[in-house]
Amino acid sequence: MSIALDQVTKRYQAVPVVNDVSLKVEQGEFLVLLGPSGSGKSTLLRAIAGLTEIDHGRVFLHGRDVTHVSARDRHVGFVFQHYALFRHMSIGDNIEFALRVRKVKAAERRARRKELLKLVALEGMDDRLPTQLSGGQQQRIAVARALAHRPQVLLMDEPFGALDAKIREELRRTIRQIQRELGMTTILVTHDQEEAFALADRIGVMHQGRLLECGRPDDLYTRPQTRFVSTFLGAANLLLGYRMPNGVRFSSQVTTGEAVPREVVAVLRPEEVELSSGQAQVRSNFVGHGEVEEVLFSGAVERLRVRMSGDGPVPAAPGREGQPEAGSLLEVSRTLPEQRDFPVAAGQRVAVGARRVHVLPTPISSFTAVADTESAARVLHDSPLLSALGARMQTRVATRIGRGELAPPGMPAVATGPGSAQAAEWQLRHGAAQLLCVPSTAPLPSHVIIHALDAGARRAAVPVAASLLRHIAAEAVYLGIHPAVSPENDRAAYMRDLLDTRSAALAEHGLDMRTELRFGDVAEELQRELAAHGNSMLILGTPDSDHIDWAWLGGLLEGQPERPVLIVNAARADRAPEH
Amino acid sequence: MAPGWFRNPSILPGFGLTLGFTVFFLSGIVLLPLAALVFKTASLTWEQFFAILTDPRAVASYRLSFGAALLAAAINAVFGFIVAWALVRYEFPGRRLVDALIDLPFALPTAVSGIALATVFAPTGWLGLKLAATGVQVAYTWLGVVVALILIGLPFVVRSVQPALVEAQRDLEEAAETLGAGPFHIFRRIILPAVFPALLTGFTMALARGIGEYGSVVFISGNLPFKTEITPLLIVIKLEQFDYNGAAALGFIMLVMSFVMLFAINLVQAWGRRGQVTAGR
Repeated sequence: MSIALDQVTKRYQAVPVVNDVSLKVEQGEFLVLLGPSGSGKSTLLRAIAGLTEIDHGRVFLHGRDVTHVSARDRHVGFVFQHYALFRHMSIGDNIEFALRVRKVKAAERRARRKELLKLVALEGMDDRLPTQLSGGQQQRIAVARALAHRPQVLLMDEPFGALDAKIREELRRTIRQIQRELGMTTILVTHDQEEAFALADRIGVMHQGRLLECGRPDDLYTRPQTRFVSTFLGAANLLLGYRMPNGVRFSSQVTTGEAVPREVVAVLRPEEVELSSGQAQVRSNFVGHGEVEEVLFSGAVERLRVRMSGDGPVPAAPGREGQPEAGSLLEVSRTLPEQRDFPVAAGQRVAVGARRVHVLPTPISSFTAVADTESAARVLHDSPLLSALGARMQTRVATRIGRGELAPPGMPAVATGPGSAQAAEWQLRHGAAQLLCVPSTAPLPSHVIIHALDAGARRAAVPVAASLLRHIAAEAVYLGIHPAVSPENDRAAYMRDLLDTRSAALAEHGLDMRTELRFGDVAEELQRELAAHGNSMLILGTPDSDHIDWAWLGGLLEGQPERPVLIVNAARADRAPEH
Repeated sequence: MAPGWFRNPSILPGFGLTLGFTVFFLSGIVLLPLAALVFKTASLTWEQFFAILTDPRAVASYRLSFGAALLAAAINAVFGFIVAWALVRYEFPGRRLVDALIDLPFALPTAVSGIALATVFAPTGWLGLKLAATGVQVAYTWLGVVVALILIGLPFVVRSVQPALVEAQRDLEEAAETLGAGPFHIFRRIILPAVFPALLTGFTMALARGIGEYGSVVFISGNLPFKTEITPLLIVIKLEQFDYNGAAALGFIMLVMSFVMLFAINLVQAWGRRGQVTAGR
């Protein structure tokens, strides 16, 4: 193991910019940290180099704990975005700097300098000043300088950011070649996905300080686990689909029969969309009809936008304000042969098929605000908590007036207060796997309490809690509550149970939560804990709807204080993510 | 470069206008009075001229004026750098206030700062009293002159080093750190070379100001002939005695000596800039 990070956290003014990142990089591996600006990737790189101190966690280089070792003693090579060459020194002196600091003999220094200049293909530049070189050449020198003291790890912070496209590509090839040649463990930070694909053995995608996913480029592209990665790596249509016995269906008018169809979030890449003249001609899975709205030809591929008709697939991400509910826009890209087989023009009506879809393992697919009147549904839809959750999780929030026959697919949301217990019971009894009870004024919680009524409920509740907590900066506490009078030797078992839950949540879902064990009445303890924090929320795992004590649940929902409650129903809830 | 000498290199028009103004301004305000000074001196015979210059009282005053100015500028170079460092690199409460305070010696009438210094450092003043207990007397000695010149010269160093420090990239220091350099090495090889030209400029300006300073010094120096009398004061004394020629001769020699010193420093600076090519070898 060349580089290992263990739960590294860095905060600026109490805001975590690097949040609980654990990562292992093998000897000789080229890892690219990819993320939008402000995602914390540079900070993480600087933390590995020792240029930024971390608040929590550990950093290991070749098995040595260097968390409290200064940058000068970490023996890493670091390449900066703006080269950071010493302008008052010649190229030769720049390269020899690390050796001079180490008091290496002059002859040896000269030999190493020559070797490095040859490596970056800039022989004979020794006596020039950095300012006499082009940007690309300066960055090569910076790489040579960083390698002079034979570091075991090379770290590069957007090394091509300041260069133009052509030189960038050339330098990229050089770096890859050098890295291979030396078998150097390398981490490179970039926001450019093309660069990441071109260089990486593995890509780690960062967003809002978290390392969301880490894996081989093709794996991340074809089988992303999160909404963010699926849309950040390449283009993607995120659609709400329904898992049927014969595969994923998209039409919003799925014939359901008795049960609520299981809603999922599906990734449909633009290049996996098939366009045809009619439903019969579609060779892949038929998705719906649409109208070509825009055609852009860009060299090898053609990019289109197809407006789907009302009964077509529903986008999983929230539409912009004022965008019509029905008829989603589909991004399509087609190769030349495809264009030749079936040429299309703007305004043409087409049948749309999906060759391959990937289902995200996220347990939360969409929210539906359910109320009896339109105004009440609107109020619920626009409540601070629900709209913030929709925005943070990039999740669609629909509305439904009246209950209908069955619970809506996805997660229904009902208002708290009088009548909420009865509304919740109806939803859970009519097929809802999850339910959110929303107070009209509550903001995003800063303190989330997780409790499960039995073991099955716990298995169901933890992934939902993990999915939710990934998107909000809240403290999570798992509360184990046991009867006040219990035999002494049972307590040890409770404790063990609790710790197992915690480690399983961390290992399987990356959810880092505190655990607390209480003895007493469950409802009382939960209400006490909710009241102890201003912005608290409860995630409650329950057994299936036939085994719920409805009177008890009603008491909890309509009792004080009025706080958001997310109920996860064990019988229908998702199990561990499928890959 | 040569063919473009008189071309218009800037986006602002009016090369002729600006150059004309520059020449007029320099001639009218700077060169003409200086020429008058030389002209006035020329009315002396060589013997008279040398007699005035080599007068022991005058020689003692040169030593004090140039010596104290050099010493004060050197002290300012060190402490001005530290002040600029603190202001640029650290965020602390009252930083803006301190930053504004630096300029105060610029704005204050020099006589005011001189009198204030004299009051504080006089054997009966706050600091003077304590210093007297340790046997050090500042007011009315050459030390007082140095203290006054430090006060006057500090802003020059701080204000010229500050922008250079702001500009000096932090990533250069970080680069040196990842390459294994310790704090001393980073300061000596990375920071100092980057700010040295600015530091030298500040030093030169503080020195130039110190040589010519009059107002703040006369109140604290005590003005004892041969001991604490600076050359500008001697010139004023000669003027008060209507010895215009003598005053002009002393002014002329100050002009020559200052010019030689400043020119020498400029040469060093130019050499330093060219020396960057091979520095660190």
